[in-house]
Amino acid sequence: MIDPSLKVRRNALGAAALVALMSSTAYAAEPITILINNSPWYGGFEAVVEKYEADTGNTVNIDRTPYPGVLEKARNAVRGEESPYDLVNLDNGWVVEFYSGGFLTPLTDVDPDFTLPPEVVTAGDSIYWNEELQWPTSDGGKLMAFSPNANAHLWYYRGDLIDAPPETYDDVMAACAAHHSPPDTYGAVLRGERGNPIRFAFMPHMLVHGGSILKDPKNGDFTVTFNSPENLTALNKFLEIHNECSADNPGAIGQGEMIQLVLTGKAAQAAIVVAAQAQMDNPEKSAVVGKIQFAAMPNPAGMGKRPVFGSWQMGIPHNVPDARKAAAMEFIKYFLTEETQTAYAEGGGIPVHTGVLRGPLSDQDRFRWMKPYATTAESAVQVLLYKEGAEVEQVIGLRLNQALIGEMSPEEALNTAAKEIHDILAASGRNTGQLPDL
Amino acid sequence: MADQLNHNKSWLEGLWDLLDRHFKLLAVLPAAILLLALTVYPLLELFHMSTLKISFSNAEMVREPAFWDNLTKLFDDWIYRRALVNTLIFVAVSTSVEMVLGFALALAVSELVRGRGLVRTAMLLPILIPPVAIGNIWRLMYNPEFGVINSLLAMVGLPALDLLGSTQTALLAVIIVDVWHWTPLVFLILLAGLEALPDELMEASSIDGASYIQKLVYIIIPLMWPAIMVAFIFRSIVAFKVFDQIFLLTSGGPGTSSEVVSLYVYKVFFQQNQLGYGAMLAIITIAIVCVYLGTFALMQRRMARAK
Amino acid sequence: MVAAPWKTVAVWAFVLFALVLIVAPFLWIVSVSLKYQIQIFMAEFPFDPTWTNYDRVLFAKSSDFLRNLQNSLIVAIVSTAFVLVVGTLAAYSLAWRRWSRLFSAVFLTWTLVFNIIPPITLVGPWYLIFRELGLFNTLTALTMTHIVINLPMTIWLMMSAFGNIPRDLESAAIIDGCRRMTAFRVILLPLAAPGLIASGLLAFIFSWSEFGIALNLTAKETMTIPVAIAAYAGQYEIQHGEMAAASVLSAVPAIVLMFVGQKFIVRGLTAGSMK
Repeated sequence: MIDPSLKVRRNALGAAALVALMSSTAYAAEPITILINNSPWYGGFEAVVEKYEADTGNTVNIDRTPYPGVLEKARNAVRGEESPYDLVNLDNGWVVEFYSGGFLTPLTDVDPDFTLPPEVVTAGDSIYWNEELQWPTSDGGKLMAFSPNANAHLWYYRGDLIDAPPETYDDVMAACAAHHSPPDTYGAVLRGERGNPIRFAFMPHMLVHGGSILKDPKNGDFTVTFNSPENLTALNKFLEIHNECSADNPGAIGQGEMIQLVLTGKAAQAAIVVAAQAQMDNPEKSAVVGKIQFAAMPNPAGMGKRPVFGSWQMGIPHNVPDARKAAAMEFIKYFLTEETQTAYAEGGGIPVHTGVLRGPLSDQDRFRWMKPYATTAESAVQVLLYKEGAEVEQVIGLRLNQALIGEMSPEEALNTAAKEIHDILAASGRNTGQLPDL
Repeated sequence: MADQLNHNKSWLEGLWDLLDRHFKLLAVLPAAILLLALTVYPLLELFHMSTLKISFSNAEMVREPAFWDNLTKLFDDWIYRRALVNTLIFVAVSTSVEMVLGFALALAVSELVRGRGLVRTAMLLPILIPPVAIGNIWRLMYNPEFGVINSLLAMVGLPALDLLGSTQTALLAVIIVDVWHWTPLVFLILLAGLEALPDELMEASSIDGASYIQKLVYIIIPLMWPAIMVAFIFRSIVAFKVFDQIFLLTSGGPGTSSEVVSLYVYKVFFQQNQLGYGAMLAIITIAIVCVYLGTFALMQRRMARAK
Repeated sequence: MVAAPWKTVAVWAFVLFALVLIVAPFLWIVSVSLKYQIQIFMAEFPFDPTWTNYDRVLFAKSSDFLRNLQNSLIVAIVSTAFVLVVGTLAAYSLAWRRWSRLFSAVFLTWTLVFNIIPPITLVGPWYLIFRELGLFNTLTALTMTHIVINLPMTIWLMMSAFGNIPRDLESAAIIDGCRRMTAFRVILLPLAAPGLIASGLLAFIFSWSEFGIALNLTAKETMTIPVAIAAYAGQYEIQHGEMAAASVLSAVPAIVLMFVGQKFIVRGLTAGSMK
C-alpha cells in the first residue's frame, strides 16, 4: 500500500505550507494533534478547534476515537518514543496512571508564567498532581492538565409533573410516590448495572450522607471506611429509590436504559451526568422536549450538597518536542478564555468556566442546566484517584450490584467490599485498616 | 530468434525445476515467516510479563519479578474461577448447539439444487455486522420495556421476560446471541466439507429416509470428520475468546452471572493496568483451552481405536 | 436428482425457517436504521420511515463513511487474497508433503495457541513493532495483522480440504511427467475449491468485522468500518439509528463482494483445471 509515501508527501506539503505561513504572518505555531473520545459534547469541541484555526492560522488535527480506544492509544503514545499526540484526553479513572507514571508534562513546565484563570473549574483538583503525596491536589501539586468537561451528575426531573426542584430525599420520594405507576411510568431511575455504572451512581449518595471509601487517603491514611454506618444509611436510601421508584430490573439498568426511560417519558426523575443534557430537547431523540428540568443532586434534609465529578482531563504527553508542547499550550490558553468557552457552549460543549455557566447564556431556556451545574461544579469532589482506583471500583461495582439484585444484604455487601478493598490496599503496601463489621 | 526463445525457455524451465524441487519448503515459507515475524515476539513478551509486576515511574517501565505473587493471586482469585465455570458452560452449550444446527443446515442446503450460493450468502449476514453493533442492537431487542422480543412474546400471550436482567438467564441470553451470530460459520465450513464429497455418494444418499440416517452415521460423518473437527476447534476457540457481546450486553452481570474469562482478562490487564497478573491470566487461559482441546483430541483417538 | 417432491419441500421449509431466524434480526436492524432515535426508543411499529440516518452516515461533516468503507475494502480484499495464497500453500505442504512429525506438530500447535491469545494482549507489542517499522497508522500494518490472525484458520481448513483428495490423483499426474507445482495448481486446487471458498469467505468476514486491532492501529485516515461504527456508541449517548444505518450500508458491499468472489474462485479454478 502507498500510505507511507503519501504521508511523507503530506508532511512535505505541511512543511511547505508552514514556511509559507511563517513568511506571510509573523508567527504560526507547530501543527498539533489531539486524541479525544467521541461524545455528545464533541461537536462543541470541534467547533472551538475550527474557530481556533480560523482565528490564529494554526493547525489542529483531531483523532476522534471511540471511547474504549482512547485509553489504549494514549498509553501506547506516551510509552513509545515520540508521541503522535500533543494533547490526550483522559477519563478520570485513568489520570493517576498517567500523572504518577510521569507520562505528562506539567503545564507550568511548558509555560512557567501560566496560571489557570480563577473561574475555571478544577474538577475537584483532578487536574493537579502532588508528586510527593502521590495525590491530586492544588496544594503543593503541579498543574498537569485542564478539564474539557468536568461532567458531574445532575438530577433530571420532569418540570411539567413536578413543581419545585426536588431538593431533599424527602422531595424525591414524594415525587416518586406521586408519579410511580409501573409499567407506564417510574418515579425515579438510577443506574444499577454492575461495574462503573452502579459504582459511579452510588458515589453522590454516599458522600451526601457523610460516607466515604477511605478515611484520609490524601494524608496517607488508607483505613477502609466503606462499611461505616453512614454508608449503610446511604446504601439503604439508594436501594430504596431503586426498589420503590425504578423499573423491575434495576440491576441491569445502565446509562443507555436510564436515558431511554427519561427520553421516552417513562421516568419522572433520574440522576444523569450533564453530558447527556443535549438529547433532552432534541425532538428527533426525545418525547419530552422542553419538559426536563435540572437540579443539583438531592441531599438528606439538613445536610449540604456533596456531588461527585466524572470529569475528563486533557494533558500534554512528556514525549513530544518542545515546539509542539508550546503549540499545545497556546491552544489550552485559547480554550480556557471566557469568549472561547461561550462559543464552546453554543456549539454543544459543556463549559468549565463559571463565568459562562453563570453568565448571560445561563438565562436562556436552552441553557437552563447551566446554573444547577455551576452550583454542582463548585462543590463537587473526586473519588478513587489513587493507583488502586480501578481495582477498587470493580469490587464496589460488583458488591453493590449484588446487594441490588438481592444476592447479598446491604450489610454483607458493604462488609465484603470493605474487606476486599482492604486486601487490595494491603497488597500494594498502603497504610490501611478496617472498621468493625456492620 | 527461435534459438534465443528456446534458450530462454530452457533457462526458465531450469528455474522452474529448481523451484519445483523445493516446492515443499517454498510453500510453507511465507506462512512461517509471517508467523515468526508477528507472533513470536508478542507471545514471548506475554510469557515474560506473566512472571513480572510491571509499574511505571518517570515514564519508564519498572519490572520486578513476581512470578509466585502472580501465581498465588491466581489461586485466591474467586472471580476468575467463577468466570472459568461460566466460560466452560458458555463454550460447551454454544458450540454444541451451533455444531448441531450448523450441520443440519449444511446437510439441508447441500440438498438444494438451485439457490445454494444465495442461501449461503444470506446466512452470512450475522457475521458481517460489527460486534459493537450486534451488542447494542441485541441489548435494545432484549429491553424489557420496549424490546421487540417482549413485544413478540406479548403477542402470543406470554409474560414479559427480562433475560439480561436476571442472574438465572443472563448467560442464556448471551448464548442465544452467540448461536445466532456464529451458527452461520459452522454452517459455512461444513457445507464446504459436504460439497467436497464425491457426488455419487451424495446422490445415492438422498433416496429414502431410513438408509439416509445410516448413510449419515456410517459414511458422511466419518468422511466429514476432519471438517467437523476444524469447525469445532475454531468455534471453541472463538467461544473461549467471547468478549464484545458480553461486554456490551451485561458487562459480566448481574452479579457475576455472565462473567467470562476474556472479559476478566480485559478488566485486569487493560482497565486495571495490572500487566503482569493479566498476562498470567491470559497464559493460564491458553493452557486451559489447550487442555480442553487436547481432551477432545484424545477422546477422538480412543474412539477411532475402539472402532 | 430423483428426490421425492415432499422431500424437496421439507428441505426448503427447513432452510427457509432457518433463514428467517437468521435474517430477522438483520431486518430489525434495517428497520432501526429507518427510524429517528425516539421512534427506536419507543419501539414504534408501524412507523414512518426516514432516510435521515443514511444521509448523516454518508454525508454529515463529522462522518467519514466512504473513506472508512474504502479502507475496509482494501484491507479485507488484500488480506483475504494474501491469506488464501499463503495459507493454501502452507496447508498443501503440511498435508501432502512429508514433514517430520515434530515440525508439523510445532507449526500447527503454534498456530492454534496463537489463535487463543486474547487480542488485547497482542495489540501492545504489535503497536511497538509497527512503530519501529514506521508503519503505524497505515493500511499495510492492519492488513498484515489481518493476514496473520486469519492464517491459522485458513491453514487448518485447507488442510482438511486437501485431506479429502485421493492421493493417487497426484501421483498419476507426476508419473505422467507433470511438475508438482502444476499438479498442485491443475489437480489439487480445483478439487479443494469448496474449501477455498469457505476459507476465503471466512477470512474476508473476520477481516471485515475485526475491531480490537483496528481500533488501536488506525487513526482518522486509516479507520475501518467497525471502528467508525463503534464511535456511534458513545458513553452518554448511543446513536442507534446511525449505527444501524452504517451497519446495513457496510453489509451490502460485503455481500455483493462475497457473492462475486465465490463465482470468481469457482471460475478461476475450473478454468485452471481445463488447461
